[in-house]
Amino acid sequence: MVLKIKSISKNFGGISALTDVSFSIEEGEIFGLIGPNGAGKTTMFNMITNLFPPSSGEITFAGEIITGIKPHLITEKGICRTFQNIRLFPQMSALENVMVGGHSRSKSGVFSSVIRTKAQRNEEARLRGSAIELLELVGLSDGIGTEAENLSYGQQRRLEIARALASKPKLLLLDEPAAGMNETETDDLFDLIKKVQARGITVLIIEHDMPLVMKLCDRILVLNFGKKLAEGTPKDIQNNKAVIEAYLGSEEDEQSA
Amino acid sequence: MMLVEIVNPYYLQVGSFILINIILGLSIYVTLSSGQLSLGNAGFMGIGAYTSALLTLNFDVPIIVGVIAGAVVAGLFGILVGIPSLRLQGVYLAIATLGFGEVIRVFFVNWESVTKGAVGISGIPHIGREIFMVLKDAGFDPAIIGLKNNQFVFLTVFFVLLLINILLVWFIFRQQNSRIGRAFAAIKMDEKAAESMGINITYYKVLAFVQGALISGFAGALFAHVMSYISPADFSYHRAVEILIFAVFGGSEVIVGAIFGATFLTLMPEMLRFISEYRYMIYGLILLLMMAFRPQGLIDVQVLHWFQKLRLPKRRAEHGSKNQKHL
Ligand SMILES: Nc1ncnc2c1ncn2[C@@H]1O[C@H](COP(=O)(O)OP(=O)(O)OP(=O)(O)O)[C@@H](O)[C@H]1O
Ligand SMILES: [Mg+2]
Repeated sequence: MVLKIKSISKNFGGISALTDVSFSIEEGEIFGLIGPNGAGKTTMFNMITNLFPPSSGEITFAGEIITGIKPHLITEKGICRTFQNIRLFPQMSALENVMVGGHSRSKSGVFSSVIRTKAQRNEEARLRGSAIELLELVGLSDGIGTEAENLSYGQQRRLEIARALASKPKLLLLDEPAAGMNETETDDLFDLIKKVQARGITVLIIEHDMPLVMKLCDRILVLNFGKKLAEGTPKDIQNNKAVIEAYLGSEEDEQSA
Repeated sequence: MMLVEIVNPYYLQVGSFILINIILGLSIYVTLSSGQLSLGNAGFMGIGAYTSALLTLNFDVPIIVGVIAGAVVAGLFGILVGIPSLRLQGVYLAIATLGFGEVIRVFFVNWESVTKGAVGISGIPHIGREIFMVLKDAGFDPAIIGLKNNQFVFLTVFFVLLLINILLVWFIFRQQNSRIGRAFAAIKMDEKAAESMGINITYYKVLAFVQGALISGFAGALFAHVMSYISPADFSYHRAVEILIFAVFGGSEVIVGAIFGATFLTLMPEMLRFISEYRYMIYGLILLLMMAFRPQGLIDVQVLHWFQKLRLPKRRAEHGSKNQKHL
C-alpha cells in the first residue's frame, strides 16, 4: 500500500468539500478519482500535498503519516502533482521548468553554485540530462527552449507531467491531464501514463474523460458532494446504479441537452 | 606626464557614486528576483554605514573589517525582519519594510550618545586615504606614476568600488544561473507551484531577503568610508525611493536593468545641473510613467535579445542566447 487516506474531511467555511473519505492505493496501480464538478477531487489532491491542511483525518504515505508536513517535504518523500488550472513557471523555458522539478533531488547551495564546484557542475549536468530525457518522454523535445507560456495548451499539460516526474515521485497525482486535449493528444496521454506506470510509478488521476479513465485505471473511486459514492474496478463503476445516476448518467444528459 | 591631466577627481567621485548606487540597485534586484519587493534597503544601508563607521572610529578596526561587519549586521537584521515579513506579500511587504527603514532612521536620530543624532558622524576613515597611507608608509609615491596625491586617492576608491561591483555582478549572475536562481524565479512566478515542486519557499524567501539586506549594508558601509560623513538623512525615505527607482527605471527583471538604472539616474542630475533641484519630482514622474507604460523597466529580456542579435549575428542559433538571457 503506497497511500492510505483515512477519514479525511475538509470544510471551507460552511462548505464541506470532503466528508469522511477513506481509500487506499496499491503500489504500481493507476487509480482513478472521478465525480461531478465540485465533488471535492481537487481538494483531495490539496489534502495529499498539504497545500491546505485537512479539517480531520490522516494520510499515510509509504507507511509514514504525512498529514501536517510542509508541501516541499511531501514532494521530497515522493509525491508530486500537476494542476487542473495549469501552473507552470510561465517565463521559464520548458527545460528550466523541468529542472525546477528536480529541485528536491539536488542540493547545491549558494556557495557551490557561485564557485561552480565540480560537484555542482556534475549535478547541474545531471539535472539537465534527466530534464531533456523527460521532455523526450512526454514528446516535447522540440520545445525545450520555448518559454512555457508560449507552448500550446496540450504541450503545457505534458510539460507539467514532465516537471512533476523530475522530482522522481513514487506517486504521481494528475489533475485532469486530458482537459482541453483533442483525441490524438488524449491517445498519446494514455500511452504516456502507461509508460509512467511501467517505470514503477503509482498514478492517482482525476479525469472527466470517461473512455480514458475506464481504459486506463485499475481501480476507481467516485466522489459526490464530498462523499465517497463508490469504489471498484472500471467495470464495477460502469455498472453501479448510484454512479450512473449521480455522474455517468448525468453526463449523457449534458450531451443530449 | 599625461595622467595628471586625464585623472579628474570630480569624474572619479561621480563614478564612485554610480558604483555605490549600482550596489544598492543590485540589493533590491536580488530580493525582487524571488518576488519580494523590499523598500527597507535604505534602512539596511544605514545599519551597515553606522556599524562600520562606529567600529572604525571607536575601536580602530581596519576599514575592511568594519565593512564586513556592517554587511553582516545588516544581514542579521535582514533575518530579523525577513522572517516575520514572510506572511506579507506585494505592496504590504513594501509598506512594512519602508516602515522598518524609518524606524531605523529615527533610531539613529535619537540614539545621540552613540550616533551624534541628526548631526551625524564625521571624520570616518576614508578608503582611498587609508590605502594611500599604507602605501606611503611602504615607500610608494603617486608621483612615480605621475599622479598627485588626491588624484591617487580618488582613483583608488574608484578601482576598489569597481572591483567590488564586478565581483558582486559575478556572484549574482552565477547564483541566478543555478539551482538557487531557479528556485528564486520559480517562487516569483508561482509560489504555490514552487512549493509543490519541492522548493522550501520559507528558506529561499528569507535567503533572498537577507542577501538584499546584506548587500545594502555593504553598500552603506562603503558609502560611509567614501563620504567620510554620514547622517540619518542619508538613509531616509528618499533614499528608499531612489533605490527603488534604480530598479523600476532600468528594469527589475534583468541584472543590467538595475545597473543601467543606477548609472543613468546618478549621471543625469550631474550632467544636467538644473535638474538636480527637481530630482524627486522627476523620480515621481518616472515612477508614474514606468508603471503606466513599462512596468518591467527600460531593459527587459526582449531588449537584451535584441542587443544580442545585433552583437552576434552569426552564432545566435545555439544555446548562447539561452544562458545569457537573464543577464
Ligand atoms: N480554497 C477554497 N476555498 C473555498 N472553497 C473551496 C476551495 N477549494 C475548493 N472549494 C470548494 O470545495 C468544493 C470542492 O471543490 P473541488 O475543486 O475539490 O472540486 P472538484 O471535484 O475538483 O471539481 P472540478 O471537477 O470542477 O474540478 C467546491 O464547492 C469548491 O467551491
Ligand atoms: Mg478539480
